[in-house]
Amino acid sequence: MPTTQPGKKTILVPKIVNGVPSGEEEIVVDDTDAPAWGPKDKHRLLNTYLPRADGPHKATGTAKYTHDIKVPNMAYACFVTSPHAHARIKSVDTSAAEKVAGVLAVVPLPNVEEVRFEGQPVAAVAAKTLEAAEEAAHAVAIEWEQLPFVVTAQDAMKAGAPAAVNGGGGGRFGGRAGGNRGGNPEQVLDALKSCDVTVDATYTSVIMHHCCLETHSVVCDYSGGDSATVYCSTQGCNSITTDAARELGLPASKIAGIVYNMGGGFGSKFGIGIVGQWACRLSKQLKQPVKLVLTRREEFLAAGNGPGAIQTFQAGATKDGTLVAVHCIQQALPGIGRSNIAAQPYQYRAQHTYREQNTVNTNEDSSVAMRAPGHPQACFAMESLMDELADKLQMDPVEFRKKNVPDPAWIRQLDAGAKAIGWQNRNKTPGKSANGSSLVRGMGCGIGAWGGGGRGGCVATVNIGQDGSVTVQNASQDLGTGTRTYVRAIVAEELGLDYNDVLEEIGDSRFTNGVASGGSTTAASLSPAVKDAAYNARTEMAKRVAPHLGADPSAVLFADRQIAGNGKALSWKQACAFLPSGGLSVRGEWKPGLSGNGAHGASFAEVEVDMETGHVRVVKMAHVQDGGLILNRMGAESQINGGMIQSLGMALYEGRVMDANLGVMVNPAFNDYKLPGCLEIPELIPIIDDGDERNVVIGLAEPANIPGSGAIANAVANAIGVRIRELPITPDKILNALAQQKNV
Amino acid sequence: MSSPSSSPPAAENSPTTGKLPAVSRRGFLKGAAVAAAAAEGLLRQPPSAAAAPAGDPSAPVSGPTSITLKINGKDRDVTVEPRTTLLSALRDHLDDPLTGPKLVCNAGTCGACTVILDGKIVYGCSVLAMDAVGRTITTVEGLGTPEKPNEVQKAFVEKDGMMCGYCTSGFVTNLSNFLNKNPDPSLEEIKERCKGNFCRCGTYPHVFAAAQAAAKASKG
Repeated sequence: MPTTQPGKKTILVPKIVNGVPSGEEEIVVDDTDAPAWGPKDKHRLLNTYLPRADGPHKATGTAKYTHDIKVPNMAYACFVTSPHAHARIKSVDTSAAEKVAGVLAVVPLPNVEEVRFEGQPVAAVAAKTLEAAEEAAHAVAIEWEQLPFVVTAQDAMKAGAPAAVNGGGGGRFGGRAGGNRGGNPEQVLDALKSCDVTVDATYTSVIMHHCCLETHSVVCDYSGGDSATVYCSTQGCNSITTDAARELGLPASKIAGIVYNMGGGFGSKFGIGIVGQWACRLSKQLKQPVKLVLTRREEFLAAGNGPGAIQTFQAGATKDGTLVAVHCIQQALPGIGRSNIAAQPYQYRAQHTYREQNTVNTNEDSSVAMRAPGHPQACFAMESLMDELADKLQMDPVEFRKKNVPDPAWIRQLDAGAKAIGWQNRNKTPGKSANGSSLVRGMGCGIGAWGGGGRGGCVATVNIGQDGSVTVQNASQDLGTGTRTYVRAIVAEELGLDYNDVLEEIGDSRFTNGVASGGSTTAASLSPAVKDAAYNARTEMAKRVAPHLGADPSAVLFADRQIAGNGKALSWKQACAFLPSGGLSVRGEWKPGLSGNGAHGASFAEVEVDMETGHVRVVKMAHVQDGGLILNRMGAESQINGGMIQSLGMALYEGRVMDANLGVMVNPAFNDYKLPGCLEIPELIPIIDDGDERNVVIGLAEPANIPGSGAIANAVANAIGVRIRELPITPDKILNALAQQKNV
Repeated sequence: MSSPSSSPPAAENSPTTGKLPAVSRRGFLKGAAVAAAAAEGLLRQPPSAAAAPAGDPSAPVSGPTSITLKINGKDRDVTVEPRTTLLSALRDHLDDPLTGPKLVCNAGTCGACTVILDGKIVYGCSVLAMDAVGRTITTVEGLGTPEKPNEVQKAFVEKDGMMCGYCTSGFVTNLSNFLNKNPDPSLEEIKERCKGNFCRCGTYPHVFAAAQAAAKASKG
């Protein structure tokens, strides 16, 4: 144990690597009393329904995103990408491309002699217009030597399959030791013998895409000289400066990284990536600003994805509804990358468990973090298994779950969700429709958990002008999660001001240090720093204004845009006039005690299935989510709705489809990669779990996305009386399953 | 598509570049559109590059060409190529660009680039800039401002009909146009009308609520 300095203490916080929670780490913080949030039901702004701070700009098209940036003399760049899943470059002829009018540079990417997935960038082009850049990219002539490839997990697991990655051996490399293997398999298999019911089953989910509406994009505003401004659609504003400094050969302190707004991230956007690398390199070469924006097709092929999973269980329970033994082998499907699927039996308690995870590599772009990395996949499989066991036990699935959850939060949430969905009307005769109709209904549920804790490092600044203006600054970015809104609200509430009296300035690396948005940690990391800065600003204001009121600074009140004490009151503007001409600038930092860790949620779904066509319509969904102190209830409900809708997409529509013979993706476009649209949206009931008494901020963006797909899969099984164990649950799978059942 | 066992020839527009295969959408459309625009005498001046013989309005044009577009009530001069889409003209080619309409799919599937052309909604990525000459173009910026939003924009803020905001201009433009024609739509009509607009954050329920609130406010 390292010795801690006086006035400091060591605490444990979640560690996040590239958006993926990776255990905990120790940090040293000031050992002082932090400001407290105060009672949950006494807030004037927090925990109420606040309109989004950036709403007026987003609704009128005036909010600026990286895609929208145009600076003088800006060149447009694009990539030339591989059409093959695995190939070697024999030659590159850029002569025709260089002749295209307006072309400024054609650069084959160095050190790319071999490509390992379709869409991998192999050359970059810059031109005066986007049209010319695209034309030149078409004109780059590459001679390829095609190499053996494998693009489906089924093919990759066959003996003698080509290696998708170096040293892969048969497309597959073994599971990493340590966290990926746990428990005693013999004991589990022994325990299964004493179970009253057992289920052996394999559940499959496929590679999915983030589908951020704003594709990966960077504008490097550099024209030579000693400084640059780099606009990037990224979840980590602060990382822009260090990444771009490396490419431009400038000190990081001379680079401004900007993320004013971003069109979605969902885990796919950390750092400046290869897009930023080449925007910067071309800009440096040309000594002029360069904009590089991925096309939608490139975004599908080469901007990351969420891994698929094949999970095989042997599990058993006893008659009283106790989950006893779970043996699970997981195959993660992350393309050429690596990824983790959350361990089984996911959130449930079982006396005997064994879990082993391996990776099946294919010649596809590497998986990256995607909203609650590894959890929706694990949850879908485990929740399907729970319902199969409940069926065999002839036990209500909600009751079976309540017997096996380790935290009472889920019992409360399962009850609330069951009530919201109308669980008492759940189908008692699956697969049997009434009145000769082909339509059947079913209900299902599932639970999930996530960390969402805060970490140190965030520093917020509150500036108060002599004219009474108030700004709050931090480098963190708003992915659309509502960061701006609570940053503004926390300061306004603390200083007794109106919501619109405070201006938030975020998404600029020149402001005090922010946090990268991974693992739902932004709110829990940033809001305490903002609270602390606002608290310090208030203390400082009280000190300055108290003498003018003839009051003791500790007895000064801030409310209704006034500062009051000793029976007198000054308007906020009058009070600020006592400040020096430079105003006040006060900082605050993240402190423990204002944020917490550990979010719980439960999803419920009701579906209607047409047994003649196999079409599934989700009728209704409800999701119950805790999050400690809710900073903005409207934003939280939007997040919960969004989580339900993304899980609906995972359950029924979404998935990368590969052509096993050609090695290419069949559906790299929104015509063919089906996202949930207006016509697929059911009645949605977002429920904030106010039974959660923790008065600390906990991130809830990711947990809302976790249990919905399992709930829908269970609802489909309850409707049709047959289990579909592979996502997405498309009509063909339902019709095949019904046909097979008839043939049995 | 070439067979994976053979090495396909490397040529312009071949799949080997990994870009759009064979003839691109823009490439296919450009000839016809330019001929039409030229024939109607809508181009401000003859194309600068490969200029057509003077006095021959039917001759094809190519290269950067200056046109005038009527956008949000103002005549705006802009230099585009025959292959430039209306969306790209607004976002990339205008001095002081209009970036409310977003580039998301560039294939007419997502609705983020929705603009109003002669009173009807179109996907800006699927109309050539030259085809918009002489027509009335309204973008989301022309519907209202942060200080003076229209009823739909106001309702989107009140109901939180947005998260990342990247689909928002498309929805707002579509619904503003829709409510002019159908001031009292049912929920089903709103969903049907917006089925060509995608949102990835999952704001749909609040978008529907905003549309209903705007309809109510416009009536009231």
